[in-house]
Amino acid sequence: MREGAAPPDAAFALIAKQRGAQRIMALSPAALALGLSAGMMLADARALEPDLPAFEHRPAADHALLLRIVESCERYTPMVAPDRDDALVLDLTGCFDSLGMDEDAVRGDLVTWLARRGFRALAACAGTPDAALALARFGKSTLRELPVAALGLGDDAHLALKRAGLRTLGQLADRPRAPLAARFGKAMSIALAHLLEEQDRRITPHRTLPPIWVEQRFAEPMATVKPLLGVIEWLAGQARDVLVARGRGGRRYEVSLFRTDGHVARLAVDSGLPLREPADVVRLFRERIESLADPLDPGFGYDLLRLAVPLHEDVSEGQDRLDEENSGKPDLAPLLDRLQVRFGAECVHRFAPRDEHLPEYADRLVPPASIPQPWPQPEAGEPPLRPLFLFDPPQPVTVLAEVPDGPPRRFGWQGRQHRVVRQEGPERLAYPWWKTVEATGPTRDYYRIEDSDGRRFWLFRHGLYGSEKADPRWYLHGVFA
Amino acid sequence: MSLETPPYVEFATTTAYSFLRGASTPGEMALRALALGHPGIGIADRNTVSGVARALAALRRFEEEMEAEGVTLPPFRLLVGARLVFADDTPEILAYPTTRYGWGRLTRLLTTGNLRTTKGNCELRLGDLLEFLEDMQLIVATPTSDALLRQLAQAAPGKVWLGAAMLRQGRDARRLAALREQAALAGVPLIAINDALYDGPESRPLHDVMTAIREKTTVQAAGRRLTANAERHLKPAAEMARLFAAAPEAIAATADFMGGIVFKLEDLSYTYPHEPVPYGYTPQGWLEELVWSRASDLHPQGIPEKLTRLLTEELGIIGQQGYAAYFLTVHDIVQWAQIQGILCQGRGSAANSAVCFVLGVTAVDPMKHNLLFSRFISTERKEPPDIDVDFEHERREEVMQYIYSRYGRERAGIAATVIHYRSRSAARDVGKALGLSEDVTARLASTVWGSYASEYDRNRCIEAGLDPDNPTIARVNHFTGTILNFPRHLSQHVGGFVLTQDRLDETVPIHNAAMEKRTFIEWDKDDIDTLGLMKVDILALGMLTCIGKAFAMIETHIGRQYQLSSVPGDEEDHRSNPPHVRAVYEMLQKGDSIGVFQVESRAQMNMLPRLRPERFYDLVIQVAIVRPGPIEGDMVHPYLRRRQKIEDVIYPSPAPPHDRDELRGVLGETLGVPLFQEQAMRLAITAANFSDAEANQLRRAMATFRNVGTIGSLHSKMVNGMVARGYEKDFAERCFQQIKGFGSYGFPESHALAFARLVWVSAYIKHHYPEVFAAALLNSQPMGFYAPAQIVRCAQEHGVEVRTIDANHSEWDCTLEPNPKGALALRLGLRQISGFRENWAEQIKAHRPYTNLEDLARRASLPQRALNLLADADALHSIGLDRREGLWEARRTPTGELPLFAAARARELGEEPHAALPAMPLSEEVAADYQTTRLSLKAHPMSFLRPVFAAEGVLRCTDLAKTRNGKRVKVAGVVLVRQRPGKGNAIFVTLEDEGGIANVVIWARLFETYRRPVMAARLMLVEGLIQHSPEGVIHVMAQSIHDRTPELKRLSEVHEAEPQLSRADEFVRPQHPRNVRVLPRSRDFH
Repeated sequence: MREGAAPPDAAFALIAKQRGAQRIMALSPAALALGLSAGMMLADARALEPDLPAFEHRPAADHALLLRIVESCERYTPMVAPDRDDALVLDLTGCFDSLGMDEDAVRGDLVTWLARRGFRALAACAGTPDAALALARFGKSTLRELPVAALGLGDDAHLALKRAGLRTLGQLADRPRAPLAARFGKAMSIALAHLLEEQDRRITPHRTLPPIWVEQRFAEPMATVKPLLGVIEWLAGQARDVLVARGRGGRRYEVSLFRTDGHVARLAVDSGLPLREPADVVRLFRERIESLADPLDPGFGYDLLRLAVPLHEDVSEGQDRLDEENSGKPDLAPLLDRLQVRFGAECVHRFAPRDEHLPEYADRLVPPASIPQPWPQPEAGEPPLRPLFLFDPPQPVTVLAEVPDGPPRRFGWQGRQHRVVRQEGPERLAYPWWKTVEATGPTRDYYRIEDSDGRRFWLFRHGLYGSEKADPRWYLHGVFA
Repeated sequence: MSLETPPYVEFATTTAYSFLRGASTPGEMALRALALGHPGIGIADRNTVSGVARALAALRRFEEEMEAEGVTLPPFRLLVGARLVFADDTPEILAYPTTRYGWGRLTRLLTTGNLRTTKGNCELRLGDLLEFLEDMQLIVATPTSDALLRQLAQAAPGKVWLGAAMLRQGRDARRLAALREQAALAGVPLIAINDALYDGPESRPLHDVMTAIREKTTVQAAGRRLTANAERHLKPAAEMARLFAAAPEAIAATADFMGGIVFKLEDLSYTYPHEPVPYGYTPQGWLEELVWSRASDLHPQGIPEKLTRLLTEELGIIGQQGYAAYFLTVHDIVQWAQIQGILCQGRGSAANSAVCFVLGVTAVDPMKHNLLFSRFISTERKEPPDIDVDFEHERREEVMQYIYSRYGRERAGIAATVIHYRSRSAARDVGKALGLSEDVTARLASTVWGSYASEYDRNRCIEAGLDPDNPTIARVNHFTGTILNFPRHLSQHVGGFVLTQDRLDETVPIHNAAMEKRTFIEWDKDDIDTLGLMKVDILALGMLTCIGKAFAMIETHIGRQYQLSSVPGDEEDHRSNPPHVRAVYEMLQKGDSIGVFQVESRAQMNMLPRLRPERFYDLVIQVAIVRPGPIEGDMVHPYLRRRQKIEDVIYPSPAPPHDRDELRGVLGETLGVPLFQEQAMRLAITAANFSDAEANQLRRAMATFRNVGTIGSLHSKMVNGMVARGYEKDFAERCFQQIKGFGSYGFPESHALAFARLVWVSAYIKHHYPEVFAAALLNSQPMGFYAPAQIVRCAQEHGVEVRTIDANHSEWDCTLEPNPKGALALRLGLRQISGFRENWAEQIKAHRPYTNLEDLARRASLPQRALNLLADADALHSIGLDRREGLWEARRTPTGELPLFAAARARELGEEPHAALPAMPLSEEVAADYQTTRLSLKAHPMSFLRPVFAAEGVLRCTDLAKTRNGKRVKVAGVVLVRQRPGKGNAIFVTLEDEGGIANVVIWARLFETYRRPVMAARLMLVEGLIQHSPEGVIHVMAQSIHDRTPELKRLSEVHEAEPQLSRADEFVRPQHPRNVRVLPRSRDFH
């Protein structure tokens, strides 16, 4: 159950769009009890249960959740692997002594432990992973009772076995193997051997280490926080060598602090541009540590410090100037990183153009790391049609102009009269009807004008004369440089 | 228009036929230009002329309406062209043909671009234009280089203009000056355009919505892809003059441009193809010759006087209207099909003429049947006659390819169908464009939308959890309503062919269809009507395939020859019908009509015992009466009461001095109740004093009732007209309601007649040759209403022996085999096995007989899949293998061997110890039969479950007849059909058990309580009250419904996972009952 979207005993479905239709991928137990089944069209299910809630099926999120469970099960054994979308296998060989539990106890402990975290689990112990998985999946207590579907050979083979009247592993086990192999191939022999505990299979543990990581173990646990940054800087230097060799730079650095008592603290920093320099990395970690709400608690001390670079990308080496001087252009990136680490990413923005006709909507704020879009440039040989400076709100002005839509001849602003000597327009911009309930509003006629002193203004008539307003007002919306 | 205002004509118009780019229809554009006092308008859509006929039709209609009001319109010219949009960097060019020849150049040009690419696209290059630009005037409408402009000007001296628009984009004045200079430099005149995207400024929001739909974004996010303002509309001449004050010559140029054009759409005079006419004959002369010689062949003893009279009269009208070539063309196609042995039958107003009967186009003999009206061309309509020809559905493609080969692809094309927005798609697109989320648009689309939203629709909206007064929802509703009238794209018509004598691509552009080897023209049937082109509908009908196959089998096995027209029908006086004819009617009267054309649906089956047809015309009525038109018009019950003599036949009468019996002639054959479209029109003429033109308007309004609002004025005109002549208002209203009903589902008598003939022929075969009928039906699948299981069961009830599918006996098709009793048995074909392939069946047939499975696999070179399917369908009995053994063997039989090796080893498989598999119980055999072939000859699934149900007191379906009316009963069976017809007040479910079927009626209010069992059950138990109708139809009026599907699991020996829902649901997603599976396919096996 995800994000508390529905109570645990509610009927609901997870759906995904397939070939234009919404199909049910999974159902809650309550929905299954209503007679619905996975694979149905949502429309068909709603025909039966009009109010069936449906949520998007997110296999990636499910898998991530499963992996989280896998990691937490590493407490029993390092050999844990996910199986398909819904199961995990623990290789407990040789673990019982260290855990101080036997098979049944581990199984019970695991199920209870998961139940406390809100997961309902079925568990079984057996001599091979396949046998254990099958017993758990089909809820049987002996291997002979398992249905032939446990072989996992595909619907074709299962149906053929059922049509032959062979429905359980027991029935298969009692038959000579050669005729079965002749019909169902080697896959059947192998699957059967795995299931009947005749042949073992190794699992591949889930744990994968990040692609770039360096660590430092301490002979004596380090009981204070102070020297930490020095260790991090040293580790970052090691990481830099790896990054340089690969032509990469880190976008995320992660420090894992392993306490002697088994607790692991993790700190991570992100950067807008790929980083390598240990000094930059340490600066970010310093900001991070200083801004922690809960200060680090070394307890009895750290015995292992690991620095990983889980996220990194290609660095295009900028060509330095030949005379070895810096280009002089101040680099914004380190500043932006520092500002973001200190104030939070949501507090730092930059302006980006927005594709809108109305000038007041034509820009927006975006996170600084996003790729900046170029601002629209006037066509070659064209003057800028929009001013650099906009008044917000536009300034009311008094204007003398011809009706219905002639250009301004003169206008008064802040007690001064301006005589218009040149003008171009109108640029007519209609009201964005979708922005308001009324859906209608005045049209604007914009004019670029130049007064007798050579100053250039951007004026608009608010409303079409006659059809929209009896006496449209005028505004100064901007001045050109 | 004041004196000093120079006239202005807009040539840059983009209408709704530039899909999602123009926000007004061509008609709206033309009428707005007329209203603004312009002397004309040019219609030029993007690389298409598909909208031009619409503009013409709208102008004509308006003119007609105005004429009726006594208003004469000022002269107004419709100029037609196209906006050429190129794939290379050529600017957009408005091309207007000046002559008929130029029109042909334009359509050739567009055809060239169309055929170069896939459906819906047109790829033009500058070279194409240079090749086809004779007799065309061009306006360069988008910025271009001086060089290109000069190149164009040289290629078409004096025919090129440079377009300039003043769209209030800020720098208009500067741009106008620049264009003026460019024009002077290139030596071409400047012309004013306003690049109109809609008729008036009020349409800007709609255009924005369309832009957002086209750009697959929302209005909020579309930004500058939307137009900045509402200036792109048709403007009055005075305003255009003011805008172009700096270049008055550009305004004057519009009149020059118009003056250079002499072509008008009406010039597209039509010439019929003259292939069918032999050298030395006129079409009329040849038609007459043909008709009279055929008539003598039919009546060697001399042509009866009545026929002579009819033929003379009809030939006279044909000659007068010049339609002989049309009849000859239809005859040519029909004759070709008949020579190929393809069954066909014509229908439509002209098809029921004596001429068509004599020429073999139709099998309905107008001499035998007293048809209502002179079913013929109406002279006042001045429209070409209309004949649709149905062909066997499996062989129609042959006919179409014949037409292409006979007339050539440049002379024959399929008409287009303009696909309009439907309310669901419109609501979804508009909702998305207005930025509503996916789930809200999905909910929107589930309700009815558009400007006709009634109280009912409001409630539906509220039920769907949406507030109809919410501004956004109201906006969606508004735009949806508008956009419903708009075309969305062009598609090909199902089979309407346009044939010409001259090159068709010089009349109309041709497109590639999505289907291979098909091309279609960009005008639809209304446009073709408007322009007076000839169209023949080449349609596909499954029943003709079935009848064709049945005739062939009867000839092979019984030695009797039939044709559609030679199946014995009834005599002129049905009371003298011979017994073998009466027996067929008796079968129909019992509602025993599974497989019979048109009358096999449950509603038709229930109607048969009530209507009790006893002559041909009763079948015509039977076909027409169970239709939404008569049902919504509440005409069915009055008709039935009168027919059953419960009610007197009275003809509503007008007040004196009008003829009291004036309606007797119109409504006589249908006992005073109007049932057919033709009667509705005739009624309006006779009783409401409509003129022919008005009746014509009414017919058009009926055809397009959903789209056009004109029905309102016709409503009051008709009701008032009838009341004025002394009819009761109530009757008048009822008549009109029925006409409205016809609007959506018009069913004219002329079609009912042709269908009734096929009802008769199929019923005749079913009764006299039930084994042939069943085999032909099964071999023509998919068609008809029922699944193979019901067809087979029905055949068995008619005494036919049905034999199982067997690898040594079955062919692909179902076949007939003599049985020891001297009758014919039906052998099921391999086609019944889901997933089997026809070429496997042929390979099997070629190397028979087989003695073991390996032999079969090797000699018929079958892949393992084929062997598995054969085994699983239990088709290996003749080689000594039952289903279980067969499958066990099949899985190890090697296939796909090289022949060399196959020959080298006679028998490769080693002996195995006997598998000793457990025996398969009969019930599981039946379940597997249903899964593989959807029927079982071994037993009915219910027979195994009977002990369970008997213990609960469940009756057999056959016992219901013996149960008294009103008694409470339980009945159970597999669900064959679920239907929720019409307004959905009741749900009809048909259950089947081992003995028969039960008809269950579930009222809508009960449905809500039992929704899940009603919708999901494949095995259903119903408790309810028995209701016997006087005609012997038995219904169970449900009181409670139980889903007993899990019982089906008892059929297999071990419980399995619950199989998926079978979709017998006509109202979730339309699913045809014939595709219903009682047991779902064994999943993913095949």
